[in-house]
Parts: sequence; structure tokens; C-alpha cells
Amino acid sequence: MNALLDKKAKVSLVKPRGTSASSSNKGRVLAQKEPNELNQFLIRIGESKDRQAFVDLFKATSSRLKAFAMQCGASSADAEELLQECMIIVWRKAHTFKPESGSAITWLYTIVRNKRIDMARKSRHETVQSDDLWAEEGSEELEAQISGEMEGKTARGMLKHLPEVQKQVVFKVYFEGKSHSEIAADLDLPLGTIKSRLRLAMKKLENVAKEQMSWLIIILMMNF
Amino acid sequence: MANYHPNDELLMSFAAGQLADALGLMVACHVESCPKCAEKVRNFESLGGDILNQCSEEVVSDSLLDETWAKIEMFERNKVSQESFEKAANEKRVNIPRPMRRFIKEDFDQLDWSGFSKNIQEVNLNIDDERYTTKLYRIKAGSKLPEHTHKGTEYTLVMQGSFSDKSCKYNQGDFILADENTKHQPQASADADCICLAVMDAPLKMTGFFGRMLNPFLR
Repeated sequence: MNALLDKKAKVSLVKPRGTSASSSNKGRVLAQKEPNELNQFLIRIGESKDRQAFVDLFKATSSRLKAFAMQCGASSADAEELLQECMIIVWRKAHTFKPESGSAITWLYTIVRNKRIDMARKSRHETVQSDDLWAEEGSEELEAQISGEMEGKTARGMLKHLPEVQKQVVFKVYFEGKSHSEIAADLDLPLGTIKSRLRLAMKKLENVAKEQMSWLIIILMMNF
Repeated sequence: MANYHPNDELLMSFAAGQLADALGLMVACHVESCPKCAEKVRNFESLGGDILNQCSEEVVSDSLLDETWAKIEMFERNKVSQESFEKAANEKRVNIPRPMRRFIKEDFDQLDWSGFSKNIQEVNLNIDDERYTTKLYRIKAGSKLPEHTHKGTEYTLVMQGSFSDKSCKYNQGDFILADENTKHQPQASADADCICLAVMDAPLKMTGFFGRMLNPFLR
């Protein structure tokens, strides 16, 4: 409990200069309670280079982006460098964010994922870089064929459907890039157990996505 | 449309940004032309979004926002010259999948193919990757490879034409996994040369699973 309070106390110190406390809190609360607010910030940055929206987005997401980088193994200083690189991309590329094909937090996730890859490789031409792996803007044709994230709502909030043991394995894939056999060694469990946990996790996620899809389809059908 | 796909484990690692290597390029080539896999990657990216969303918060230096503005302003001043460059380099060579364009610098015909037989030729691709060796193979239309097995794991992506072995036919975009247990005798279809991208375990460089590229922070 004390640790929790400590963390809250620290977080309230995270207030970039030159802005009032009230707007800082507003950004944070909205980010948690209403993820759509993040979409609005991104849209405003994309459409009109809205500086206040950028400040709000920075405040609402920077501490999580930093935490994500650190969970991937970055030092605090490296994590801040990565965070800064990401925020520069947010400013430059916000116009490519399409709310209909995914949520703002997923868009930010793809940026921190990509920047993390590139940070170590700036100077090496023959290595694989993130823009080889993911086109800056997906092809329109392919976009049209992907039905998965209708309205950007599908498949969100999937994590909470996973039991702890499955979550743990998923984290090891996302944060540590561990292979199945490495995860098995880490957790001192048989390889088969890890494989089946991941398989179950993926099955579960697929079902959640499908369930959300079918609800969407029902809602859409009722509207027409 | 492709009938053979990367498995979910690979797609998840790819979406997690943990396949930043030759195998990742191959998955990217497949995903770009396969709506089914693209949708799965989307879902795994959403899961990534969830993971980011639930990250506990870390205190960020007070000065970072101001420093970021300073960098943005510097960028805005230099903007014009950069962006036009980036675009121009990538527009050409439509028959090479986009993820490979930095590594396959010419059209297939102009590459420096070599091989002891005219029926099967290869080109090594120069990708700096500790874990994998990457090659293009070209099987002449209608010709058959000798029966063979594989050392270690080998991933193959059909980039042009098609080939078949005794059980299946593989077309453009298909993603195939072969290992020690695969024994086959592929034959290119009669109508066109078949060009495949192959990624296999690099010999003599055992650096642990994805090698040290895994964690770019271990510099």
C-alpha cells in the first residue's frame, strides 16, 4: 500500500514546466478514464499542429511510454531518449493516425516499438530497420480488406481477459523477446507448458476479438 | 492469395517488434500481401497497446518536454530537404516487395545470380543479421530439384512464380517452414521461373536465440 502511495506521490510531480497543474491532471485522468481523449489529442496535432494538444498528450502518456521502455530493459536515461524520439514522431506523423483503424494507444505502441528497434541501429545501413518491417502508411487496398478493427474498437482491452500465468508469458514475448524455450528456462517450467499457455492465450484473444466483432456486427445490423 | 502462413507465435513476435531481423523481413513481405495475417498482426498490436496502457508510470524528468520542443523546432527548420529524399528512393521496382527493397537493389533479372546448374541459381542477400543467412533462389520453369532435407530450420517465401512438392503447391506469398523432418523434391511450375526468399539459421554463429539484436539497449 505504501509503495502504491509512493508511486502516486511521484507521479504528481511529473509536470512539465510552463503549464498549470489543473490541465496536467486533466490530461492524466482523461487518458485513463476515456481513451478517446487521446484520439482527440492526436487528431488535433495531425490536423492543425495544435501545441496544447501535444502538451496534453505528452503529459497523459509520457510516464507510461517511459515505463514501457524500461520494462524492455532500457536504463532511465535511454528510456527518456526513446520517449523523446517517440514524441518527435508523434508531432511529425500525427496526421497519419487513422482513428478508424486502431486506437491512439495502439498507434503509440507501434511508435515506441519501432523507435526501440531503430535507436540501436541509426548508423548501420545493412541492418533491418523498422520502416522495412512496417510501411509508414499501410496500403489502402490492404486496409480495406482488414475487417478486424472496425471503428478501432475491436480487440481492445484484451489483456484483462487473460489469466496471470498466460499474461506473464505474453509479457516475456513483448518486453524481452524471449523464445519459448528461453521462457521455459526462465520460469523453470517444461517447454510444453509454455507453448500451451501461449496457445491458450492466443485462442482466448482470438475469441475475445471475435466476440467483440460479432457484437459489432449485431449493432451494425440493428442500425440498418 | 496465400494459402500457407507464418504461425501465430511468429506473428506475435513480429507485432511485438521482436523479429527485427531477416525473418522479420520475410514475415513483413507475407503480411503485406495477406489480409488474414495483417489482421492478426493488428490484433497483436492492439494487445501491445493494452500492454503499454497498463504499464506502471515512471517519473519523467521535468525538463524533457522543453527539450523535446527544442528538438521539434530544430526539425521543423530542416524539414523540407529531408522528406522529399525519403520518398523518391522507395517508389521504384514494384515487383520487389516493399520490405525487401533496401536489400534487393535491382530487379530480379539484374541480380548477380550464381550456381552450378542453370536450373537452380542463388544470390546471397547482404543483411547484417547474426542469426540468419538470407538468400534468393531461382528455380527454372519446370525443373525439379534433387530430393533433399534441411539442416536446422529454413523459412521460405515464394516471391514469384510457384513450385510444388509431392503434397502441396506453393504460390506467390506462401510462407513455408521446413526443418530436419522435411524431405522433399520441389519442382517449379512450367509457366514461369520460381523465385523464393530463403532464411536459414546462420552456420557457426550461435549467439542464443535472436542473438543480441533482441535487446538494443544492451549496446
